[in-house]
Amino acid sequence: MSTVVLSAEKSQPAPRASLGVSLGPTLGRAGQLVAGLALPVALVAIWQLASTDGSLFGGALPSPDRVWRAWLVWAFGNPGMGLNPYSGTWWDNVVFSSIRVAKGFGLAILVGVPLGIMIGWSRAVALAVDPTIQILRPIPITAWLPISLAIFGIRDFGAIFLILLGAFYPIVINSMHGARGIDRNWIRAAMMMGASRTAILRRVVLPAALPSIFTGLRIGLGIGWTAVIVSEMVAVKSGLGYVLWDAYYVGRMEVVIADMVSIGVMGFLSDRLIVLLEHWALRWRRLQSFSA
Amino acid sequence: MGAISFSAVDKTYGGRAAPVRALAAVDLEVGDGEFVALLGPSGCGKSTLLNLLAGFEPPSGGRLLFDGGPVAKPGPDRAVVFQEAALLPWLTVWQNVTFGPQVQGLSRGDYEPRAAEMIRLVGLDGFRDALPAQLSGGMRQRVGIARALVMDPKALLMDEPFGALDAQTRLTMQQLLLDVWQRLRTTVLFVTHDIDEAILLADRVLVMSARPGRITRDIPITLRRPRSVDDLTNPDFIRFKATIMADMRATGH
Repeated sequence: MSTVVLSAEKSQPAPRASLGVSLGPTLGRAGQLVAGLALPVALVAIWQLASTDGSLFGGALPSPDRVWRAWLVWAFGNPGMGLNPYSGTWWDNVVFSSIRVAKGFGLAILVGVPLGIMIGWSRAVALAVDPTIQILRPIPITAWLPISLAIFGIRDFGAIFLILLGAFYPIVINSMHGARGIDRNWIRAAMMMGASRTAILRRVVLPAALPSIFTGLRIGLGIGWTAVIVSEMVAVKSGLGYVLWDAYYVGRMEVVIADMVSIGVMGFLSDRLIVLLEHWALRWRRLQSFSA
Repeated sequence: MGAISFSAVDKTYGGRAAPVRALAAVDLEVGDGEFVALLGPSGCGKSTLLNLLAGFEPPSGGRLLFDGGPVAKPGPDRAVVFQEAALLPWLTVWQNVTFGPQVQGLSRGDYEPRAAEMIRLVGLDGFRDALPAQLSGGMRQRVGIARALVMDPKALLMDEPFGALDAQTRLTMQQLLLDVWQRLRTTVLFVTHDIDEAILLADRVLVMSARPGRITRDIPITLRRPRSVDDLTNPDFIRFKATIMADMRATGH
């Protein structure tokens, strides 16, 4: 079965609102943005207004203005000066974490996509490899931390290994499903046209599996960010995860929260990057109506 | 060129526990350049027969020859036109039509003029850069036909290619196929469950019966060529139709 909607008859725009009152076309893009921002703005405002002496819950949760000021120092302060060890180190830590995610995620794609397609395509490969993946998959990546530390030590590759592993499972499994769900007649058509096995894999199976592969990439990238934070908290001495844990240890909760927000923003931006890529690679799926 | 020969071909599906005999001792001879229609109800094994010849599935018994040699695997000498066209949805019309020659490693200079000619022949000149999803069902099937013809096949295997189209489009496509065949004279094996379509297009109609699938009748259609969809009301056409319908009733279709 193919999940691709091919005929113009079947294509319908997605409903704007799934439940209740439809906002409909009366709201423009700007209106939608305002509607989407109302809740977070309200929550931050309540958090600010409910804080006494600059924090909530007896000092545990610093107020938004203190978080903001802490971030300004963290981002733009003079590095290596004074009593604040985080001053001016934000960008470096963002880059450290991002590069680790990029490396681990890139390796996960290099291994996961071809392997997933081979498992989905060949029964022999599936029999040989799939059980191993299914046995290892339930082990959470956090459980791999000690082994990773023992093997790689407090070095970059410990974190990269964890990201690779975390991103690998969703990528390999979605690639596999993508390769399995192909319309049999596409393969038959390619064989009838004289395509070799490699040509079929490259020119039919891979493009047909792409929608599913992108689903795997997005999930995998999310897990990659989880993995980088966890491993930096334990296994390396830099990055957003390291600062997060270190700031907690010394009671700098405003830095902890600024760090959390930074991770969220980085996760969001990197996801948008994948979506952009997906949009470009799958542009053939959006052209569904008969335009002539 | 393009001659097809089945002798005592069997095809059985399923394991030893519940075997389903799709084809039983099928004998069939199709001469080069002949247009033969396989007519029968769904499940009679007519598509199975076509799949064996295409090389998509191996026969369980008997001997199957194409162009004097055994059929081992699918190949561009036996171009298939699928029921729902089976175009690659991420490729444009042009890319779909040139896919075959390209993966075969032919040089552009050799196949591009022919691809352009075939696209013109099926009336899609203005749609080279369209994606399959932007085309109607009939237009998609035109691409399917152009994609098959561009490989200069010895035989064209068509598996209910117009079965999913509306009546009007179907007539247009039948006329198109008649015109194309008149020009190229390729061997055609055409699977259908539509009596009118079988008589209109073919030189011979082979009637099949189900469970197990076998060819029960071989009816030469002597209507003069070139034909057109106007022949659907020709008295001779009606006579052939009456014969086939009576025959199908007699064998319990």
